Amino acid sequence: MAKSLLVISRQAPWSGLSARESLDIVLAGGAFDLPIGLLFMDDGVFQLAQSQAPSALQQKDLTANLKALEMFGVEDIYACGKSLAERGMFPGNLNLDIRHLPQEQDISELIDRYDHVITL
Amino acid sequence: MATLHVLSHSPFADSRLTSCLRLLGNKDALLLCGDATYALAQATAPLQALEDRAGRLEVYVLSEDAQARNVTLPGWVKSVDYPGFVELSIRYDRVNTWL
Repeated sequence: MAKSLLVISRQAPWSGLSARESLDIVLAGGAFDLPIGLLFMDDGVFQLAQSQAPSALQQKDLTANLKALEMFGVEDIYACGKSLAERGMFPGNLNLDIRHLPQEQDISELIDRYDHVITL
Repeated sequence: MATLHVLSHSPFADSRLTSCLRLLGNKDALLLCGDATYALAQATAPLQALEDRAGRLEVYVLSEDAQARNVTLPGWVKSVDYPGFVELSIRYDRVNTWL
């Protein structure tokens, strides 16, 4: 049985490479059929904002990569409810349909379900 | 099931320590290395936040990093060297490095 991996993405999308790299890890894992989960928390939830225009910064849009997650078999996608609320975001105004919205106290339990965890 | 959370960034520059403390599990432990050892600097908010959890939370610090920064270690902190760091990463079920 392949070891499972949880990637925690907690950086905003356009000021560094972390957001893209965490997505790349998840997509690569998905391509190899690894049991993989992705949790957005802290500023990482800004990746889920609608109508972003990274072309204004000469950057590639990550939204397409986000949409590819399901195609790569990555279905366990989570966003921290508190991180969203703190930033004025809610499940209805995200660029991705996220069904799992753990609260902070549930996150350690979520981490416990995976063999490995990477926080970027 | 327990996780060793490894922090290496200064708690005065970003929110890693704060976020980490918010989601720690009951059996989880914290290892401070690099600039994260500044969290133990005297009379600071990060030290207070850790001190509030003393007794409930195992806090380890990489001794040479604390030493290099002249950070005084409180009694409730366990000092480890690199072999100790390796031993800890094996003892816990997983290591979560806050990159």
